[in-house]
Amino acid sequence: MTGVGIENVLVSLVLAAIALAIGYFWKVPVQKNMAVGIIRSFIQLIAVGYALKYVFDLESIWLILMVIIVMILVGSHASYSLSKQVRGAFLISFSAIAAGSLVTIGSMLILKIITFEARFIIPLSGMIISNAMNAAALTINRISSDIRSNSLAIETALSLGKNRRESSRPYRKQAVIAGMTSILNFMKTVGIVALPGAMTGMILAGAEPLEAVFWQLIVVYMLLSSVTISSVIAVELTTEKYFTPYHQLKSKI
Amino acid sequence: MSETNRSESQNPILKAENISLVVDNGGTPKNIIAGFSFDFYKGEIYNILGPSGAGKSSLLRLFNRLDEITRGKIYFNGKESSQYNPCLLRRKIGYLFQTPFLFPKTVKDNLHFVDSSLSDDKMTSMLSEVNLGPDYLLSNVDVLSVGEKQRIALARLFALKSEVILLDEPTSALDEKNSSLLLKLIKNKVSAGGIAAIIVIHDPRQVLTYNGEALLIINGKLVEHGPAKELISQPKTESGKSFLEKDSV
Ligand SMILES: Nc1ncnc2c1ncn2[C@@H]1O[C@H](COP(=O)(O)OP(=O)(O)O)[C@@H](O)[C@H]1O
Ligand SMILES: [Mg+2]
Repeated sequence: MTGVGIENVLVSLVLAAIALAIGYFWKVPVQKNMAVGIIRSFIQLIAVGYALKYVFDLESIWLILMVIIVMILVGSHASYSLSKQVRGAFLISFSAIAAGSLVTIGSMLILKIITFEARFIIPLSGMIISNAMNAAALTINRISSDIRSNSLAIETALSLGKNRRESSRPYRKQAVIAGMTSILNFMKTVGIVALPGAMTGMILAGAEPLEAVFWQLIVVYMLLSSVTISSVIAVELTTEKYFTPYHQLKSKI
Repeated sequence: MSETNRSESQNPILKAENISLVVDNGGTPKNIIAGFSFDFYKGEIYNILGPSGAGKSSLLRLFNRLDEITRGKIYFNGKESSQYNPCLLRRKIGYLFQTPFLFPKTVKDNLHFVDSSLSDDKMTSMLSEVNLGPDYLLSNVDVLSVGEKQRIALARLFALKSEVILLDEPTSALDEKNSSLLLKLIKNKVSAGGIAAIIVIHDPRQVLTYNGEALLIINGKLVEHGPAKELISQPKTESGKSFLEKDSV
């Protein structure tokens, strides 16, 4: 079923209608969300489709870079809004996400895994940035709540002559693990529990299964790289906020 | 071990010169410590007395440089404390928190936290210094009683080989028997090691177990000081009288 058109999408609305009917019958309390979701996803994706078509047709380097920057800014804002309790969370999120995604995309270009074309850069950046965003938000939240709730342990270590890095080490490690958990779990179960979305999409679009698998492997390693970089940077920058240069834990932040 | 026995030529190991700690209290500045000055000498025990909220813990934190002073100067061994690497200074001016925190998992891990080169024999003798047998070395800290935990924290503090030790209400969570044991251990360390001990004492009656100095702090200010026995039996100031009257009831 390679030549899918808008008529197929309209027909598939029957499935959405079935879901709505069941929701109505069972009085599922999220009926309204279902209806809004059906319309919203339709409009958003069609709009993105046209936008992508425009960008792909133009093939302008500046436009591609602008799209990446906007995606990083939106991702940073999303991560920030999940971790507002940390002062400077936007800048931390931005640095972590930008470093994780730019280093990863840059390496893929240098290693000639991809070329600088919109059809590679944009979808891959989207995946990278959304994963880096989740990793950054999880890491920032974890390290800040761990530092707050373990202040006695940290100050005990400081009072015994440990520096701020040594005193915060166990918490920094746990926070990086928290940021990486979803990609680690993904790698464990990939292909066994379900085929990943990108791979399913390629197979549906008519690609050879092996080609789809190769792309999927590249995607996994690329996500591992960006998530790891983003988590480590997020945890280091957040930890810095909680200490003074004199290895003192800031009581209020 | 009173002030009069000290040789005139000895320099203070720790000196506070008009130190203040001002914190931001919801927009308005609040004086936690207000112009505190005092000289502390080796071989002495200093009892810090004062009502709750007077700034006793805050003062010890400043000496350990867990917080920065707002004004004034602290000297350690004649050199301004801000001139030292904070981590090295903290090992020389050891601090025992009011609620001791022990790291996972064993007693041995906690002693190695301070000095990873300690041998089992050395650690065993350090445990005996706080009245604990050698089999405690491999005990998991989670199974220890409050009194045992406090003594492990004390052994860990002693492992720093500090020249000044700061103890924040070390006996507040202990029963009578454990408190007097702990105070005896501290006293032994001061006389054997020739170090200075600055102890925040909640109960003025415990001060009488020492022949040390006493400092009374109220509202962040040093209200009066002198030999502990004298200060407690005949306070010179009105605020000293009212604090000791209230507390002895
Ligand atoms: N970081 C801080 N910010 C604001 N107030 C503080 C801070 N630390 C301590 N305080 C206040 O300083 C005062 C002295 O506290 P503390 O030194 O713990 O007294 P004490 O040990 O004598 O009971 C208290 O009123 C306390 O609420
Ligand atoms: Mg206190």
